[in-house]
Amino acid sequence: EKWATTRPKHPPTTLALQHFDSTYSVQLGQLWPSVRAALLSERKYGALLNHFSHDASPADLEAQGCRDFITDTDTQAQLCSEQEPEVRLEEEDGVSLKKSHADQQLSSLRLSPNIKCLVFPRGNITRFKPAKPDMLGYLGYYLMDAASMLPCLVLDVQEGHSVLDLCAAPGGKALALLQTQSIDFLCVNDTSVSRTTRLKRVFHSYVPKQLLSKQKLRITSFDGTKWGEIERDTFDRVLVDVPCTTDRHSLIEDDNNIFSKSRTGERRGLPQLQLELLLAGIEAACPGGEIVYSTCTLSQVQNQSVVEQAVSLALEDRGIQLQVVDLRPLTHMFRKTFHFAPDLHVGEMVIPHLAANFGPIYMCKLKRLT
Amino acid sequence: TLLSAQRSHDAAPLCSKPVTELSLRSLANMGFTDIQAEQIYDSVSKARGGSTAKHVLSTLTALFSMGLNPSSVLKLLEKCPELYTVKEPQLQQRIDNLRKLGLVEGSLQRTVSHHPQILTVPVKTIKNVVVFLRENCLFTTHQITDILRDSPATLQENLDQLEYKFQYVYFRMGIKQTEMLKTRLFRFTLDEVRCRHTFLERRGLYQTPDKKGQTAVINPKLDSVLNIDLDTFLSNVAKASAEEYDVFQRLMAREWQEQEHYGKIEADS
Ligand SMILES: C[S@@+](CC[C@H](N)C(=O)[O-])C[C@H]1O[C@@H](n2cnc3c(N)ncnc32)[C@H](O)[C@@H]1O
Repeated sequence: EKWATTRPKHPPTTLALQHFDSTYSVQLGQLWPSVRAALLSERKYGALLNHFSHDASPADLEAQGCRDFITDTDTQAQLCSEQEPEVRLEEEDGVSLKKSHADQQLSSLRLSPNIKCLVFPRGNITRFKPAKPDMLGYLGYYLMDAASMLPCLVLDVQEGHSVLDLCAAPGGKALALLQTQSIDFLCVNDTSVSRTTRLKRVFHSYVPKQLLSKQKLRITSFDGTKWGEIERDTFDRVLVDVPCTTDRHSLIEDDNNIFSKSRTGERRGLPQLQLELLLAGIEAACPGGEIVYSTCTLSQVQNQSVVEQAVSLALEDRGIQLQVVDLRPLTHMFRKTFHFAPDLHVGEMVIPHLAANFGPIYMCKLKRLT
Repeated sequence: TLLSAQRSHDAAPLCSKPVTELSLRSLANMGFTDIQAEQIYDSVSKARGGSTAKHVLSTLTALFSMGLNPSSVLKLLEKCPELYTVKEPQLQQRIDNLRKLGLVEGSLQRTVSHHPQILTVPVKTIKNVVVFLRENCLFTTHQITDILRDSPATLQENLDQLEYKFQYVYFRMGIKQTEMLKTRLFRFTLDEVRCRHTFLERRGLYQTPDKKGQTAVINPKLDSVLNIDLDTFLSNVAKASAEEYDVFQRLMAREWQEQEHYGKIEADS
């Protein structure tokens, strides 16, 4: 009787698992059991160091065995990826999806020295303690999936840039972007008012007021799909971190779950919403600007398909030519910390693994040529 | 009783007249070699002194009554020195009880030699476990004998723990009593069982059967989950790396520890 369940027969978490079993076993094949076990087990976090806190010294965390994964890279991997580009050039992905030269990308992979994210090493399951406020009340670090740092790094923010974060709440990635301290103007948007309120609270616990002035930061609650109508050809960088099936979350939390019967319509509509958000982000970027699309789902329909459609629709309907940027140098660099899905047609994806239980995070970078 | 006196007489023919005093000579008379006798003498004097020494000979007589030879008796005592302190009537009662439970000649000796601690368990405790196995787990008398023979340590387990283990395997894994017996389930600790099972379950390779006993995947047999070494389990059944399982085990251990801790706090308040 101890095992007789009192839960409803088909709780949303169970429906989510059934759905993933049928789609991901096909999509990931042999990899799925391993990813599945990781998704259903305790995840790992990363501690994004807050430069604005007096307690931001990583010494304490390093004493516990943590390391900054961004500087602790696989040097050997870097070497062999540098020898590779010639071979890669032969690959052609069709008319609209040209991958740029790998060697070009290597030199343009300038990661901000100010973003530091500490993680416990592979196989180590130690948990982080909650961050403590310094004497001014600023917290020393922000705990988040370390793989969510990658879209921020990939965005490659440079001195003087203006940046749009189209779906920003609760603000983890925006906080990472602020750490670079090179952004001229940051615009953070999220359609949900309650979530933007939460984002503001996060900002106030991490960032000094003078950096949150109207000249430097704008926080809005618009429907992101409409952005192209408001402000076109404007931003140097646009992050489009869309709502998705939040795979990990959907497997553990029944409340408010996207797989509950009452949200079926919303769930089915996700790829369309994602496409519209990405297209709006593309329009918001200036010619020559760069857009990063990211999700925390493994779903091909919400990842690669959305990007592919956006690329062709941008050209057909809006005359915007895009280039898919090759992120392989980056995956090579960080393969000591993350497991990446092999051979995606466009973009890169961190897949969960018990020994490195981060992700899933999908990301794809587009460069506006026109 | 007349009967047990008779039996000890038969089993230890060298001991012709009742002896009460422990001495090397009395031990030699029972059939121990000089060296064996000295070993026993030493351990007894090291044990609890006077009171033990007085009843040791009758205790030994009771052990001989199972038909064990002197060197088997010695091995048994080396494995479980607590037996020196058990008095003859209790010991005899426990042996008789095991016989009543179906451990007949041959299996009795093997079970006792393999797990002499079984003779330190009071008859009442064993009766409770047997009733529990029959009434709560619906094992047949015959199956219970098998459990005693194959996994005698079961008798010393905490009943709550035992119930949890049984229910876990019965309800969560959907395993019937016959298969539990075949796998000698009770030789494994709860944590061993649920760690391997949960690992398979999270990988999508094991499912709890529904009311009709059906599953969407073919569950591996309990035998191939438990009765194989870790490497074979990982390569043939779980199809996972040792690294994954190692991390998983540590995660589970922490999870269970936290649940227990949490449970205790709840029970206290
Ligand atoms: C994956 S979350 C963003 C997480 C955030 N980037 C971070 O790192 O903390 C997706 C967000 O998209 C927002 N969203 C949903 N529909 C939107 C829309 N039409 N326009 C703008 N934001 C939207 C949701 O409120 C949600 O906060």
